[in-house]
Amino acid sequence: MKTNRIYILLAATVLLLSACASGPKTTSLLEQVRVDYAQAQGNPKVATHAALEMQAATEALAKAEAAAKGRESLETVDKLAYLTKQKIALANEVASRKSSEADIASAAAIRDQVRLDQRTLEANQARMKAEDAERAAQAARDAAAAATQQKNQAQANESEAQRLAAEALARNQQLEAQLAEMAAKKTERGLIITLGDVLFSVDQARLNADGVRMVQRLATVLQQNPKRSVLVEGFTDSTGTTQHNQELSERRSMAVRDALQELGVPRGQIAVRGYGESYPVAPNDTAMNRQSNRRVEIVLSDERGVITPR
Amino acid sequence: MKLSKPMPNQWLFTVACVVGALALGACSSSLKAPATADVAVSQAAVENASSADGTEFAPAEMKSARDKLAASKRALAAKDYKAASDYANQAQADAKLAQAKAGSAKAQAVSATLQEDIRVLRSELDRAATQ
Repeated sequence: MKTNRIYILLAATVLLLSACASGPKTTSLLEQVRVDYAQAQGNPKVATHAALEMQAATEALAKAEAAAKGRESLETVDKLAYLTKQKIALANEVASRKSSEADIASAAAIRDQVRLDQRTLEANQARMKAEDAERAAQAARDAAAAATQQKNQAQANESEAQRLAAEALARNQQLEAQLAEMAAKKTERGLIITLGDVLFSVDQARLNADGVRMVQRLATVLQQNPKRSVLVEGFTDSTGTTQHNQELSERRSMAVRDALQELGVPRGQIAVRGYGESYPVAPNDTAMNRQSNRRVEIVLSDERGVITPR
Repeated sequence: MKLSKPMPNQWLFTVACVVGALALGACSSSLKAPATADVAVSQAAVENASSADGTEFAPAEMKSARDKLAASKRALAAKDYKAASDYANQAQADAKLAQAKAGSAKAQAVSATLQEDIRVLRSELDRAATQ
């Protein structure tokens, strides 16, 4: 009947509604929270750094799921889901913070090491620079010392030269005095000492006592002035043969040389030359003039031992 | 019907009313203490987050936390202890998240600064070493 039909329809509707409500309730927020939760669980940083916070999120999710399963009001489910969502987010943030803090700790260590490396490098460079500077300073000191030494040496050389010059001057003055005693003549060829005929035995090459004294003086002069040398030149007058005169002049000059040698004058300091009748100092017309021509001339060299040849 | 002699039904209703009121009162007073505590805890959480620069680093969470804390206080004043507790719990969760966001943002900034420092130091070191 009509009334029965209405009852049947009502019953079916109630059944359908109750069937619909019998499944666990869910909300879009809860669905989102499940996704968030899975992501957080898959995050190794969360597992390492936010285990406690994740535990709280797990418990909150369990409550929300229980509310959904227990078919509590959507409002209640959403409230619990919201709390779960915030707790998952909290776990993520805590994990991020602690991970950053770990980075900071290791970065600080790395930075300190880098700074240390830098200091070490700077110290090494400074040391090398200091060593370079020290080397340069040492070189400068060495150069200064060398310059001082050079200067001292130059001064010493100069004073030595002055001393030598003074000595030479003194020696020259002495020499000139001694030569003056021997009646030395200054000529273009140098100082010439003439040993006259009277210092030799007649027509002989042997020196007499006066001649020997004269030669002794000359030897003293030569020994005091070893740089000077002498040329002993013998001359005769035109009496007798040319050959005899030549030989006589050579023998007389050699006699002078031998006498000087005996008195200790080195042979290398003495040269001899016989000129015979050549180079008379006067015409051979009178006995006096001929005596002047019979002579031995001793040419004294300059300081360097040089004698200008006749 | 005389008032001095109430009907048994009426008496029963009165008793039921009294019992019901008592039960409700007990129920509401048992919710009052935890709700008050929840609000206090949330208040503290919001203050902590604020002093940890939550407003600067997580403005949305901080606003949400403050709004919900205010709502929980209003509910507490209206003796809606259940709602007060719910709002307080949400406000606490928001405040904690805001604080955590501020903390992680700061740590990331410091970490980035350090990494930059290291990069600069290394490049200086390399340049000095090649001189």
